[in-house]
Amino acid sequence: MIRIEADAWREMVAHAQAIYPNECCGAMLGAIEDGEKTVRIAWPLENAYNGARGSRYELRPEDLLRADREARGRNLDLVGIYHSHPDCDAYFSETDLKNSCPWYSFVVLSIRGGAFHHANSWLPDAEQTKAEREELTY
Amino acid sequence: MAKVLIPTPLRQYAGKHDSVELTGSTVGEVLTALTARHPDLRQQLYNSEGKLRSFVNVYLNDEDIRYLEKDATPVKDGDTVSIVPSIAGGSVAAPPEPAVALSSQALTKDEILRYSRHLIMPEVGTEGQLKLKAAKVLLVGTGGLGAPLGLYLAAAGVGRIGLVDFDVVDFTNLQRQVIHGTSDVGRKKLDSASDRMHEINPFVRIDKHEVALSSENALDILRDYDIVVDGTDNFPTRYLVNDACVLLGKPNVYGSIFRFEGQATVFAYEGGPCYRCLYPEPPPPGLVPSCAEGGVLGILPGTIGLIQATETVKLILGIGEPLVGRLLLYDALAMRFRELKLRRNPECPVCGDHPTVTKLIDYQQFCGIPQPHPEVSMTDDAGDIDPTDVKAKIDRGDNFVLIDVREPHEYQICSIPAAKLIPLGQLPQHLDELDRDIEIVAHCKSGMRSAKAVGLLKEAGFRARNMKGGILAWSDKVDPSVPKY
Repeated sequence: MIRIEADAWREMVAHAQAIYPNECCGAMLGAIEDGEKTVRIAWPLENAYNGARGSRYELRPEDLLRADREARGRNLDLVGIYHSHPDCDAYFSETDLKNSCPWYSFVVLSIRGGAFHHANSWLPDAEQTKAEREELTY
Repeated sequence: MAKVLIPTPLRQYAGKHDSVELTGSTVGEVLTALTARHPDLRQQLYNSEGKLRSFVNVYLNDEDIRYLEKDATPVKDGDTVSIVPSIAGGSVAAPPEPAVALSSQALTKDEILRYSRHLIMPEVGTEGQLKLKAAKVLLVGTGGLGAPLGLYLAAAGVGRIGLVDFDVVDFTNLQRQVIHGTSDVGRKKLDSASDRMHEINPFVRIDKHEVALSSENALDILRDYDIVVDGTDNFPTRYLVNDACVLLGKPNVYGSIFRFEGQATVFAYEGGPCYRCLYPEPPPPGLVPSCAEGGVLGILPGTIGLIQATETVKLILGIGEPLVGRLLLYDALAMRFRELKLRRNPECPVCGDHPTVTKLIDYQQFCGIPQPHPEVSMTDDAGDIDPTDVKAKIDRGDNFVLIDVREPHEYQICSIPAAKLIPLGQLPQHLDELDRDIEIVAHCKSGMRSAKAVGLLKEAGFRARNMKGGILAWSDKVDPSVPKY
C-alpha cells in the first residue's frame, strides 16, 4: 500500500501535465512504516530517453543516485518511481516491466489530452516477468 | 574501508543498516564482502548465474564502474560504493491482457467499493461481477444506440469493451448521442466515447477500432469478443454483423430505431433465429429512410440502447430470460411494448440447416446500393448545378424556377428565399402549375430527394436540374446564415 501526500501528489500531476505529450518521470521520497509507504516529496527528474519521449522514459542512474542522497539528507527514503503515460491507460507495459526494478513502487499516471485521468501503482517482480497492482491512495 | 550505501528496500536484507563499512581493494572484493556478511542480499543483487541483475548498477562515488574497471575498479579508504537500479519504461507495448484486470479471479478493494450495489444482490454477487470483468463486448457504432450502451456497460464493469466507429462528432449528434459533449464536436467519436467511459470507470479496457466494418475485417475484429452489440444505422452493416455473428457463433444483440419506434432482440443465440430469418432480403434502397432523413426522437435510442445493454448484461451473467426468439417492438408515442415471436428459419441462407452463405459477401451489392461506377450512377451528374451557379442565376435575373422539394416542417427550419415549396410526395399533383418552357432547378436538404424530383420532372417533359448538395451546400457555399440541420 502506498499513500501519496497532497503536496507531493499535486507536484506529480503538475509535472506530468506540464511535460505532456511526452512522458515525465521522477522519484518519490518518503517513509516506509509497517510495509506502508508514504510519499512526502515528489522529485521530478529529466526523461533521458534518447528518442521519442511521447511513449518512453529513461532515468539516469546518476539522477537517481542524487535523489537517493537527497532523501537520505532529509532523513527520508527513496520509496518509488513515477512516470506518465500520455493518452493511454496507467497499465504497466511490457517496456515498463523489462526495465523495472523490484525494489520500488512504480506509480503510473494516465494523462489524457493534457489532463490527469487516473493512476495505478505497480510492484514488479525480480525476474521482470510480472507486476502486481499495489493499493494507491492520494 | 569503503562505505556501501544500501537502498531502502534492501536494508531488510542487510541488518536494517543504511550503509555498511567493508574492506576490499576493488569494488568486486567489497561486494563479495557485503554478500558474505549479509547473505540475503545475494539473491537481490545477483541472478541464478551469479551475475549482477540487469537492473543493478554499481557506482564508485559518482562514477558507474562499467566505465571504470568494472569489478576490478580499485577502492581507496573513504570511498563510497552505491547500488543504483537502472529504470526506464514507457507506455509502448501495452500488456496483452488488461493491466487493471490482472486477476479476473478477484476484485480489488476499489472494485468492491465501486460495484457494491451489484455485489449485494445474490443474482450478481462477486461471481457475477467477475463474469462481467472477464467479459468482452464489441459495440458496433458509438452513435445513438452506442452512447447509452457504452456508458452503462462501462459503469457496470464489463472488463473489455471494443468500439467500432470512424465518424467524427458533429452538432447534429448531440440531441441523442449522450456519450459525446459539446466540447467533443470535431473529435473522433472513438476518442470522445472512450474518454467518457474511462471517466465513468477507469477499470474498463477499451479497444478502439477506427474502421468501417467490412467483409474484409469483420471476422478478425469480432473474433476477439464474446458478444456483439449492433448499434448501426444501415442495412449493409446490419447484414454484415448478422452474418459474421452467425459464422463465428457469437450472439448479436440487435436494436434499431426510427422516428418514434424501436425494435430489439437477440439474434444468433444458440438455436435462436438470426436477422436473416426475420428479414431474408433487404428493403429496396431508399425505401426505409435513415435517421438523417426521417429524423429520430432523441430519447428513443436511450430506451432501445438500454434494452440492448440489459440483454448484454443478462447474457454475461447468465440470468433471466434472454430476448431470444422474440422481437420487442416499442412505440414511444403510445408508450407501448409489443412482442413478436421469431423462429429460426430452417431455410435461412446463413443459419439454416443447409446454409448457402458460408462466408461474408459484398453487402453493399446485396443491399442494392450502387457502387461508384459511372454507368450505373443514379443521378445524371452532368445535369447537376452547383449552389453558387444557382445564386448567380438568381442575381442575373435568369428566367427559371427554383423548387424546394422538402417537407413543410423542414422549410420552416430554413429556406432559400427564391424557392417555391413543393414536397416531393406532392410533386406529381402540382406539375400543371409548372411551365414546360422554363428551366426548373430542384433542391432538398442534401440532394437525394431533389435528384428523384428531377427524374420525375424530366420524365414529364420538363427541363430540370438538381442543385448539388442541397440546402446544406447552399449554407456552405452561398449563405452561411442559413442554418444546417
